[in-house]
Amino acid sequence: MKKFVLRRVFSGILTVLIVFTMNFLLVKSAPGDPIRSLMGKETDDPALRAALEAKWGLDRPLHEQYFNYLKNAFKGDLGTSITYNRSVSEMIGERVAATLLLGLTSLLVAFILGTLLGIFCARHDGSFIDSILSTASYATDAMPSFWLGLMLIIVFATNLDLLPSQGMYDVRAGYTGLSYVLDVLKHLVLPCATLVLVSMPGYFRITKSSILQVTSEDFITTLRATGMSERKIFNKYIFRNAILPTVTMLGISVAFLLTGVSLIEIVFSWPGIGRLTLTAITQRDYPTLMGIYLVMNISVVVVMIITDILYAFLDPRIRYE
Amino acid sequence: MDHILTVNNLNVTYINNDRRVMAVRDVSFSIDKGDSLGIVGESGSGKSTMAMALLRLHPKGTEISGEAMFEGKNLLTISNEEMNELRWTKIAVVFQKAMNSLSAVHRISEQIEDIYRVHCPQATSAEIKEKALELLKLVNLPDRAYHLYPHEMSGGMLQRVAIAISLLHSPQLLIFDEATTALDVVTQGQILSEIVEMEKTLSTTRMMITHDMSVVATTCNKVAVMYAGELMEFGLVKEVLTHPHHPYTKGLQASFPSLKGEKKTLTSIPGFLPDLSKECKGCVFAPRCSYATERCRKQRPPMIKISDTSAVACWLCEGEKNEK
Repeated sequence: MKKFVLRRVFSGILTVLIVFTMNFLLVKSAPGDPIRSLMGKETDDPALRAALEAKWGLDRPLHEQYFNYLKNAFKGDLGTSITYNRSVSEMIGERVAATLLLGLTSLLVAFILGTLLGIFCARHDGSFIDSILSTASYATDAMPSFWLGLMLIIVFATNLDLLPSQGMYDVRAGYTGLSYVLDVLKHLVLPCATLVLVSMPGYFRITKSSILQVTSEDFITTLRATGMSERKIFNKYIFRNAILPTVTMLGISVAFLLTGVSLIEIVFSWPGIGRLTLTAITQRDYPTLMGIYLVMNISVVVVMIITDILYAFLDPRIRYE
Repeated sequence: MDHILTVNNLNVTYINNDRRVMAVRDVSFSIDKGDSLGIVGESGSGKSTMAMALLRLHPKGTEISGEAMFEGKNLLTISNEEMNELRWTKIAVVFQKAMNSLSAVHRISEQIEDIYRVHCPQATSAEIKEKALELLKLVNLPDRAYHLYPHEMSGGMLQRVAIAISLLHSPQLLIFDEATTALDVVTQGQILSEIVEMEKTLSTTRMMITHDMSVVATTCNKVAVMYAGELMEFGLVKEVLTHPHHPYTKGLQASFPSLKGEKKTLTSIPGFLPDLSKECKGCVFAPRCSYATERCRKQRPPMIKISDTSAVACWLCEGEKNEK
């Protein structure tokens, strides 16, 4: 097990390095020029260009730029944003909290609700509630999240005027303490509901089908033949066997937590990583863009390692040499 | 001799929306204490359905009628509590797929402890382990098997574990539902001879459900031949296999190779199983039977006793009793 963890961590570091390099090359080869956007469309002064290039280190050879970036990234310094003239690490740090708040809340709600409903429907397979929920799960699963978000805005913000449609808190009110928390929660409802509605069907269906499948296995029939109570059979044997695919799915969702909610952040103007990414792309803000990619990449790798280790604990069939 | 289990007019019907599939029809037989009965038939002949109905493990929406007397109790009508008391202490079962007969994410020891404690909640882990190791030895497994996970064992080992588990409370009636079918012939042979060997020291009665005639031939004393949910022939294995009376049994016998004697071309029985959702007036085998007469198609033959131990459901055998 120790050996497996070490190897997994080592391959994780290697993955991060490879992606780091690819990010660097990809961003470098993308069309567009940050100096151009800095100077403005009309100016074309070679002296100004040279000065700006020297300031940002863009006049150095490529490999030198690469190693400089790598060295600084190790120290936690991801450079300075070209558009905002601020530290990239700091900017990402500010945004990560907002993204995590939205992503984790919706993930937990979707996971818990989806799994519970899945268990319920598996135990009442074919019932009226089951057919309604199963049909509804297909419907919301098929909806694009941004479209659903817009529809919720139209209904709950525009028409009913119940909830705010954008931002994370009311900028003008300047709430503090408890009223600030309540304000954030109010702003959280719509984007969170959108994400929950879109991602819940996955948990719902995978839980339901895997419970149904395990229930029909021979060993469950054997346990019934021994006279074991249905409660014990379900709580210990069915649940433990059926939870494995759900854990895999949860792991994947957590890994893509930072990236997965970008679209919704943009729809609801949520001040998270997603919006930062969008502006960085349009402004050709290379340092910011590369920093975001790096952070996303590391988060995916770290969560995947944790999931793998967790999986090895849950399923004895997975023992890594 | 005392009957341990007497089944009278057992009917099992699966109901699926408006379709009623009569999977087992009017089956009656009995097993003597300490005896071994093989139930053979092709897939879909209702043999597993019958076992599931006797164990009350049939799926929801199954209609069961008839009687199955075990120790003076009708297994089909007693309360769930009474049934649960009989389970595993009196009647145990070993299922078809060895690979799936245990939970993959729990150690064998844990599963054995849980199963043992269903009927002896006070038992300590040490007690259970002692009992389990004794049984594992009986099925020729090393002690270390007790602490393994199912995936760390071969199919043969798993099947042995399943047999050991079935013996935990020394049941009187042991049902093997295609228990060795998924194994290769070598392992199957080993396990079958172990079962026979084991029974010399235990006083269990065994019901062996299989589609393999040779399994019955090597391990059972009596045989019941089923076809399309009905009992065709019942009797001592040595009689039925050497001198089958029912045309279906003859057909089955001709489709299995023999180790002794001349080489023969194997023949299969032409035709397919009838649609069990339709009412059948005459003999259920008549459409595939080359000896069928007008009477066979119109009137269902009862079990005709042809000797003290055997009976056949075939009009053609009606006169044979007198000849003997």
